[in-house]
Amino acid sequence: MLYLIQPAWAFEDDSGCLLCHKYPKMGRITEQGVKRSYQVMPGMFASTVHRNVPCTDCHNYIKQLPHKEVKEGVRCDSECHSIKNPATGKKFSHEPIYNKFKASVHGRDKIETGMDADKPYCITCHTNPIYNPNEEQPPKKIVDRCVVCHEDREFVTDWYKHTSRRIREVKRNPSEIVALCSSCHSDKTLVERHVKAAKKEGRELGKKYAIAVESYDESFHGKVTSYGFTKAANCLDCHAKKDNYYMNVHDIRPSRDPESPVHADNKVETCKNCHIHADKNYADLDPHPSSKKEHSPFRYYANLIYSWVGDIVIVLLVAMALFETIGRRRDGAGWVLHKGSSWWRKSSRKRDRIE
Amino acid sequence: MKLSTEAQSVLEKSMSINKLDDKEREDIEQLIDNMPDDRVLLYKNVVSNPIGDLSRYSIHIRIQHMLLFVTFLTLAFTGLPIAFIDHVWAQPLNDMVGGIGISRIIHRTLASIMIFSMVYHIVYLFWIFIRDITLRQFEIQRSIIPTMKDVRDFKADMLYFAGTRDQRPEMDKFMYKQKIHYYAAAFGNLVMVISGSSFIFPEFWASILPEGAASYFQEMMRLSHPHEALLALLVIAFWHWYNVHLAPGRFPMQWTFLTGKITREHQIEEHFLEYLRNLVELPEERAYLSDLLDARELSPDTGNDTMQATRETT
Repeated sequence: MLYLIQPAWAFEDDSGCLLCHKYPKMGRITEQGVKRSYQVMPGMFASTVHRNVPCTDCHNYIKQLPHKEVKEGVRCDSECHSIKNPATGKKFSHEPIYNKFKASVHGRDKIETGMDADKPYCITCHTNPIYNPNEEQPPKKIVDRCVVCHEDREFVTDWYKHTSRRIREVKRNPSEIVALCSSCHSDKTLVERHVKAAKKEGRELGKKYAIAVESYDESFHGKVTSYGFTKAANCLDCHAKKDNYYMNVHDIRPSRDPESPVHADNKVETCKNCHIHADKNYADLDPHPSSKKEHSPFRYYANLIYSWVGDIVIVLLVAMALFETIGRRRDGAGWVLHKGSSWWRKSSRKRDRIE
Repeated sequence: MKLSTEAQSVLEKSMSINKLDDKEREDIEQLIDNMPDDRVLLYKNVVSNPIGDLSRYSIHIRIQHMLLFVTFLTLAFTGLPIAFIDHVWAQPLNDMVGGIGISRIIHRTLASIMIFSMVYHIVYLFWIFIRDITLRQFEIQRSIIPTMKDVRDFKADMLYFAGTRDQRPEMDKFMYKQKIHYYAAAFGNLVMVISGSSFIFPEFWASILPEGAASYFQEMMRLSHPHEALLALLVIAFWHWYNVHLAPGRFPMQWTFLTGKITREHQIEEHFLEYLRNLVELPEERAYLSDLLDARELSPDTGNDTMQATRETT
C-alpha cells in the first residue's frame, strides 16, 4: 500500500535539463506546421527502458545551457558514457545491432533526404512502450532470497524487473508484426514512389514488392493471422533468417540478395522451418497470391470463370425452381399439404380434386 | 389407364422380381385398367400422410444425409469467414464459431466425418449394387445412374410447366432434378476433399505433382475450395431447401430425410414408375388405390368420363 502512494521515482537530472523541459508549453511549430512538444515528464520518463541513462549520454551534442539548435538529434548508435556493458566492460551502445540494420535493405541514417527517408529508423519500430512498474512486481520470496546477500530491496526489485522483462517474450505478436510492416508496405503512395524511382534508376525490386501486403492478406497465412492465429507465417517468419530472431529481424534483405531467406536458393530451407517435408516444388507455391490480372493472369481468369459458372448455375437453378412452381401452381398445387392433399386449389387446367 | 412401354416394362420386371402369381398379376392389371388416363387426377385425389406413406430411403441413406448436412453446414460456417474475410459478416461469424483457434479444429474434425460419410455412402452403394446384381434385381433406370430418359423427362417436364404438355413425364425413383443435385454434390464433395487436402498436406501434393505443375495446382485448389463451398451453400439454400421445404406441397418440409418415407401424392406425381413397383410390392397399397378409385369414381368407365370430355373440349 505504501508503495502505491509514493511518488514515481524521478531520474537523476544532473545536467539540469528539467529547468526548461519540465514546462508543458516547451515546444515549437516546425516549418511544416507540425506541433512538436519538448516537454519531459520525469515520472513518465522514469518508467521507460532508458530511465537509468542520463540525458546527455544520448543527447551528447548538448554542451551548454541554454543549448544551441538541435540539428540531428539522438542517434541510436551513440555510446552511453554512464552505462557499461557488463559482458564486455565497454561503454554500452546499440552499435552492433545498428550496424546490422544499416546493412539491411531498410538501412538508413538518422537524417535522410530522398527515397531513403521513407525507410524506418530505429524508433519507427521501437516505440518503447512505457514500462509499467506495477506490471510485474517480484514475488516476495524471490526478493527475500536475493536480499540475503544483495541487502538492498530496491536494487533487487530493479534488477529483477530488468532481467525478467528480457526473459519474458516481449516481441510483437504476428498480427502486430503484419500491422507494423504494413504501416509502410501498404502505403500506396510510398510504394508507388519507390517503384517509380527504381524504374528510373534501372534498379530491380522484388517481384511482389508492390503488392506485398495485399497479397499476403489474400493468402491463407494472412487470413488466419489477421484472426489472431499465431502459428501461421507472418512477414518475419519468411523474410528474416531463423537462427537468431532478435538479430535477424534487423537484417531484412531483398529476395535477390543471396543472404535473404527468400532468395531462390534458400526458399526450400525457409519453407522447411514450418513445412518440414517441403521440397523445391513446394517452395514454388506462391505465398503472396494475387487475383489481379497484371500480377497473376492464370489466377485472374480461373477466378473469373469460377465466378461466372457459379452465378450461372445459381440463376439457372432458381429459374428452374420458379418455372416449376408456376407450372404446378397453375395445375392447382397448394403450398401446404392440407387434409391429406396439397392439390386443394382450383386448377386452371380444369381438373380438380374431387371433394 | 394405358401404360407406356417403359412403365409396362417396369411393371413386368417388378412382378417378375416379386414372383407374383397369376391372381395377383390379374389384380394389378385390373387396377391399372381402372386408373384414370389423366395421371394428374390420381395424385390429386389420393390421401397422403405428410410424414410419408411409402418407403423411399433406407436408414443408411438417412444417416449419410444427416452426416453430410450437419458436417456441410458447420464446415461452411467455420470456413467461409476465413475465405471471405473482407466481408462485414466474416468477423462476427468467426467469433460465433469460437474464433480461429477453435474453428480450425472443428473444421478439420468435421471434414474427417464428412469424408467418412462419403466412404460409408460409396461402400453402401457398392454393397446394394452387388446384392441387386446377385439377385438379378438391378435396374439401371431405378438407380441414380443418368440415362437418356432423364433428358427426355427434363424436356417433357419443362413443357408441362410451360403449359403445353398435359402430364408430367413418368419418372423413376430418381428424377432428373435429383440426379443433377446428387452428381453436383458428389463432384463438389470430391473437389472440397481434394482442395482441402491441398491446404492441410500441401507438401504431399507438391511432392507427387510434376515440377512446375504444383504451383498451378495449388492456385486452382485455393480458388476451388471457397468457390465450390459458396456455390454448394447457395445451391443448398436456394434450390435444395426450396425443393424440400418451400415448393408447393412440400411446405413446411418433407419428412423423407427423417422417416425415409415419401407421400403418396408426391410418389405418383414425380416417381410414377416407383409407384408402380409399390403397387406390386404392397398389396395394401393396391387395396387402398382400388377403394379410392371406386369411392371417387375415377375409373375411365365411371364418372370420370364427363371430366375427361370437359377437358378435351377446352
